[in-house]
Amino acid sequence: MALLEYALVGGILYGVFFSLVGIGLNLVFGVMRMINLAHGQFIMLGGFGAYLLSSHLGLNPVFGIPLAVAGGIVIGWPLYYAVVPRLQRSNDPEMLSFILFFGIAQVIEAVTLLVFGADQHSLPDSALGSGNIGVLGQDFPDSWWVAVAVSVLCIGGLYLYLSSTRLGFATRAIMADRDEARTTGIDVDRVAAIAFVIGLSLAGIAGVFVPYMVGSVSPSIGGGLTTTSFAIIIIGSLGNPLGTVVGGLVFGIGTMLMQTYYASWSNLVPYALLLVIVLIRPSGLLGKAVRSA
Amino acid sequence: MTLLALKGVESGYGPMQILWGIDLEVHEGETVILLGANSAGKTTLLRTIIGVLPCVAGTITLGGEHIEKLPPDQRIRRGIAFMSELGVFPDLSIEENIRLGGYFLSGAEVRRRSQRLYELFPALSERRRSLAASLSGGQRKMLGIAKVLVSEPKLLLMDEPSSGLAPVFVKQVIEVLKVAITGGMTLLIAEQNVAFLPLADRGYLLDGGRVRLSGARAELEASDAVHEAYFGL
Repeated sequence: MALLEYALVGGILYGVFFSLVGIGLNLVFGVMRMINLAHGQFIMLGGFGAYLLSSHLGLNPVFGIPLAVAGGIVIGWPLYYAVVPRLQRSNDPEMLSFILFFGIAQVIEAVTLLVFGADQHSLPDSALGSGNIGVLGQDFPDSWWVAVAVSVLCIGGLYLYLSSTRLGFATRAIMADRDEARTTGIDVDRVAAIAFVIGLSLAGIAGVFVPYMVGSVSPSIGGGLTTTSFAIIIIGSLGNPLGTVVGGLVFGIGTMLMQTYYASWSNLVPYALLLVIVLIRPSGLLGKAVRSA
Repeated sequence: MTLLALKGVESGYGPMQILWGIDLEVHEGETVILLGANSAGKTTLLRTIIGVLPCVAGTITLGGEHIEKLPPDQRIRRGIAFMSELGVFPDLSIEENIRLGGYFLSGAEVRRRSQRLYELFPALSERRRSLAASLSGGQRKMLGIAKVLVSEPKLLLMDEPSSGLAPVFVKQVIEVLKVAITGGMTLLIAEQNVAFLPLADRGYLLDGGRVRLSGARAELEASDAVHEAYFGL
């Protein structure tokens, strides 16, 4: 019973964090109708940002959060205007975006490899608290709780942005019908560029906690994170950012249950869930029903 | 006074040209109807005027200002509004749809104007937090009209406002448009439903992406070409 409780509580914590990992990818897809194949590499950059701050400047890794936001703006804004409007004018924007973002992912990975080498880098546990916090008799490290708290704040902030602000309404309008949004007077490129920046920033913030939740950060970690994120948003609902939370929880609980009972099979969880969902409910668990949330 | 003027406008979808040398004028306070069978180019013309489709040749002026190179949001800021066949965002609430209609206005101004619209459309006011998808076809059209009226446009473009509506709802839409026309609004309506013809001062008959005929409503009603292309006789 204790094992099951550990798996469930740990799964929820892990799932909330992985909701943050995937939510930026889903937001960007919802607004741009393009899969950012470099999403995992942007998460990885967030991880290396935190590593640099901690190991070279002696700062707490949480200062990686404002750094991730700044990085999202500095990289995302010019990147959007440099490539996305051109892609959308092309005859096959989806395929070209696949190629382009794959190329960006490879460049980021190669540059990171040159700068940091291929080794895995971890962060000191004590930076986010050296104790444990228990729930239902199950203890989890402070760093997990900090990661979950930041994830909840980020997801809650995104929810408020989408549901309570004019830019948020416009973002949802673009997700629903890009053409209708344009003929309503929304500056679609500006709103989409902001969403892209938010998506990259959320990826970077998730990256700050990757060394704690996954164990370490290395240049090769990006591809796997993109695949996991993609599985999570398909499980939740592709194009519905808040559906990512459902996908994240299903992934987190599934992974922790497998790690607890059949550890050697746990890496299969995202792909097995992905296949099951695609076969049973291709629109994702939340489907279109909560598109407006 | 001429509000909207098109001279030699050509447009289409990528390499597929749909419009060929369209000349058209809409004067202030006028209601102009665009007639034509399916695929005549009516929707393409409205989408070119609002800027979703490129004007590859010719000019479009609004109140004398060239707007053919401006993006849609800039045209809307200059006083054009466009109501598509769908007209609303089904996944957003009634209130959110109406607020988006005045996207470029201040929040206070949108709230003030929304209040007036809710008085005009009490059925929407009662359900303002409901999703637009939960509305009937007629109510959705009313919401679409409310959404475009928030910006108090100088010129309202409407694409098939009767599309998908039962006759009883078509009558409701016409009554609302009569109120707008009485208030001095300028309208350019693409429509195949004959019930809209009495609203018009003038009209254009499109055929194969070209203006085949134009004139006052009475001239159009008497025209064999209109009867053939529009009434299907």
